[in-house]
Amino acid sequence: MNFGRRFIFPEEQWEERKRAKRLSWISLAVLTSTAVLMYLTLGQSEAMKTAWVEDLLGMIPPIVILIAYRIETQKPTKRFPYGYFRAVSVAFLVTAAVLAIAGLSLLFDAVTKLLGKERPPIGSITLFGHQFWLGWAMIAALSYSITVSVLLGMRKRPVAEKLHDKALDADADMNKADWMSEGAAIVGILLVAYGKWWGDAVAAGFISINIIRDGIRNLREVLADLMDETPTKLGGVETEDLPRRIAREAEKLDWVEKASVRLREQGHVLNGEVFVVPKTDDVKVSKIEEASRELAKIDWRIYTLSVMPVAGLEDGNLPKIESR
Amino acid sequence: MTRIAFIRTKWLAGILIVATGFVSACGLPHDAEGTLPRVQNGVMRVGISADSPWVVQAGGSVSGYEAQIVTQLAAQLHSRIETHAGSESELLEKLHKQNLDIVIGGLTDDSPWKKSLALTRPYHEDRQGKKHVLAVPPGENAWLLTVERYLRDNEERLKAIPE
Repeated sequence: MNFGRRFIFPEEQWEERKRAKRLSWISLAVLTSTAVLMYLTLGQSEAMKTAWVEDLLGMIPPIVILIAYRIETQKPTKRFPYGYFRAVSVAFLVTAAVLAIAGLSLLFDAVTKLLGKERPPIGSITLFGHQFWLGWAMIAALSYSITVSVLLGMRKRPVAEKLHDKALDADADMNKADWMSEGAAIVGILLVAYGKWWGDAVAAGFISINIIRDGIRNLREVLADLMDETPTKLGGVETEDLPRRIAREAEKLDWVEKASVRLREQGHVLNGEVFVVPKTDDVKVSKIEEASRELAKIDWRIYTLSVMPVAGLEDGNLPKIESR
Repeated sequence: MTRIAFIRTKWLAGILIVATGFVSACGLPHDAEGTLPRVQNGVMRVGISADSPWVVQAGGSVSGYEAQIVTQLAAQLHSRIETHAGSESELLEKLHKQNLDIVIGGLTDDSPWKKSLALTRPYHEDRQGKKHVLAVPPGENAWLLTVERYLRDNEERLKAIPE
């Protein structure tokens, strides 16, 4: 058994992984362009400021993904004998915390502006020799941002599914949810155009709540991961039946009486143990090793799967998870 | 797929620019407190704080570059000027409470009032590199736009102000 080996992605997933990296780079380029456009039209609108900060925060997940992808495939070392797959979780913990805190601070700003009845002055901008109200330029910048981020989200989603990549899935979700934030900013600015000054602060508040929600959603997912959660389906809390499937396969082996499996999800990979009760006491080591090798083939994500012969399983199954 | 997406974006931007022109023609944005329609053919309440050569107070008369700006602007809008003299902070406080329509007094764009008022775009950069602006109440965006339009229309002349 070689537990120091490097995890090898199957061909198909390796290709998807490359695609995920490409999409992350594209995201960074596109978000930079929208951030610059929005910065140029920022003015003194609170809604615009909040949408802009959200745009900037949206750059963290692609950066985190790119860094984590680089680290995770490294060979386990003496110091990190389980490998580096948790890098994604650690990075995402930071992202989620940043989102939640930034969202709270922006919400505070918006509420202060609203309660202080601070009116947003939005002046003019000169483009192509014409003078426009800056609000129209803001709406144009926001519309561009909506279009590109929704498209990005739509393209990331299938890749995340094939890779079973929760980080990328959360990122895709954030991109797709952007239309709500930026749409709110547009509505806010239109309200200001009609002389309803409060539209700006209300829109800003709505966007900050969106940011906080993103943060909490990510936080929940990543904390579950750090708590050694059993594999769950993408974007939800529904558990996979993979441990049961592995146990059933193990029980099909001619020397196995009974089997029980526990798995934990660590970034892209799964690690865990198969506890088996052999029919007789004299099990060959080679049989155990073979079982470990074969059972690992059930799912491409399985990295290390230890097969542990035991005398008995009092109650092989863990208590059922109450619906959360 | 990506290319199609970006062409679509361009189209969207084009439509938006046209739409923008259209809405501007409908007279948007409006002021939160309706300053512009009140000033037009009405009274323009001007806060005046002396700061030569921008605002010069001598006896009962007010002159200076910024005094000239508001006089011309008032003429364009067919409005009568009502002057309110006072210290800068007094006037800006009143402006914030919408008790004045515009304040002149050699203000620059690094004014600490920046956050609570609407400063216009700079119309002149002086020898110290200070950018000169006028101040209007926050949220009166149609009015702000009108003042800025005047400044833009007279850009060349204002830039060349001798000090």
